[in-house]
Amino acid sequence: MTQHVVSSKTLVKSCLAATVIAALVFIGIILPAEYNIDPTGLGGKLGLIVLSSTTEQTPSRQPKDQPSAQAQQVIEVSVPAGKGIEYKFHMSQYEKMNYEWLTDGEPLYFDLHGEPKGDTTGYFESYAIATLKEMKGSFTAPFTGSHGWYWKNTSDQPVAIQLMVEGQYEVIGLKP
Amino acid sequence: MQVNLLRFILLLLVLTLAVVSLDASAHGVDDNTRLFLEQNTGVQFAPFLYIGAKHMVTGYDHLLFLLGVIFFLYRRRDVLLYVSMFTIGHSITLLWGVLADIQVNAYLIDAIIGFSVVYKGFDNLGGFKRIFGRQPSTKLAVLIFGLFHGFGLATKLQEFAIPEDGLVSNLIAFNIGVELGQFMALAFILLVINFWRKLPSFQRFSTLSNTLIMSAGLMLIGLQLTGYYIY
Repeated sequence: MTQHVVSSKTLVKSCLAATVIAALVFIGIILPAEYNIDPTGLGGKLGLIVLSSTTEQTPSRQPKDQPSAQAQQVIEVSVPAGKGIEYKFHMSQYEKMNYEWLTDGEPLYFDLHGEPKGDTTGYFESYAIATLKEMKGSFTAPFTGSHGWYWKNTSDQPVAIQLMVEGQYEVIGLKP
Repeated sequence: MQVNLLRFILLLLVLTLAVVSLDASAHGVDDNTRLFLEQNTGVQFAPFLYIGAKHMVTGYDHLLFLLGVIFFLYRRRDVLLYVSMFTIGHSITLLWGVLADIQVNAYLIDAIIGFSVVYKGFDNLGGFKRIFGRQPSTKLAVLIFGLFHGFGLATKLQEFAIPEDGLVSNLIAFNIGVELGQFMALAFILLVINFWRKLPSFQRFSTLSNTLIMSAGLMLIGLQLTGYYIY
C-alpha cells in the first residue's frame, strides 16, 4: 500500500484532465469572479461578476484616471503633553474628504476647521468641535483653502493620533 | 460494499461542509484583521498568534500542498518528518523575509505556491519516475517549497506597515500561530485521510484525487499570475 507509479497513459490523461478542468474553471469562473474578466459570458450568467465589480469601487482600487482623488492614506502624529497641534490639507472648493482618526486611548479636544486661501484676518470656520478619542466622517470644503484639525492635549502624557484620510486633497502637514 | 459507499459519501459531505464553512482566503487578510494590523502598536502576542493560526487554517494553498505531501505517508514518523521539513522551510523565510524586509511580489510568490501544489500532485502520480526514471528527493522538495511558502506568509505581514516597535515578538507570535494552525488543520486532514485509507475507494480514487490536486494548483497559478499582470 505505498505510492504507486501510474502508467504513462494514465499520467498523460491525468495531466490533460487537470489542465482542462483548471482552464475551464479558471476562464469560466475564477476570472469573472476575481477580476471582472468574462471571456465566456458564464460569469455574467451566473451573476459572479458582482463579486469583482464591487471590489473595484472600493477606494483602495480606484481607477487611475482620477488623479485628484487620493487613495486612503494613514498619517500618524503625536501631540506633546499639554500642547496643541494643527494638521492641515489644501482643498479646493467643493472637494471632498473622508476621514477617520483615533487616539491611543486619551480623548482630545479638537476643532476641525478651514481657513480660506489668502486670508490674513485669521478668520476660520469650524466644522466640528468636541472632545473625543475617535471620530469618523466626511466633509466638503466650502471654500478653497487649508482644512484640517487642531488637537489639544491637556494630559501630562503625549498622545498619538492615527489619521486615515481619502479623497481630494493635498497634504500640507503639521502647522507649528 | 454498500456500507463503504455510504461511508464514502458521508465523508465527502463532511469534507465539503468543512471546506465551505472555512471561508478560506488564500490571498490577503479580511477587513477586521487589516484594520487591527494597520492600527496596531507595540507587542500584541495573542492577536498575532491568532492571525497566524487563522491564516494557516483558512489558507487553502498551504493546505492543498500539505494534503499532497501527506497523501501517501502512511507512517506517523514520516508525517512528522515531512511536516517538520515544511515547518523549518517556511519559518526560515517568514522570519528572514520580514526582519530583513525582503520585498517579494505577493502574486508571484503565491503563483509559486500554486506550482508547489501542482508539483506535489504530479509527484504523487509517480510522474517524475515515469518520465525521468527517478523521483527527486521528496524531503528536499518539501523543504524548498516550504521556503517559498514562508515568503508567501511574509508578504501577508509586509502588506501592512507593521511598526518596528515590538516587531520581533509579534513576528514570532505570528510564526507560532502559523504552526498551531497548521497542526490543527493537519490533525483534521489526517483524521479524514486515515479513515479514507481503510476504504477501498482510497486506492481507486488516489489517481483522481491527485489529478484534482494538480488541477487546483493550476487554478491557483492562473489566479495569481492574472493578479500579477493586472495590478
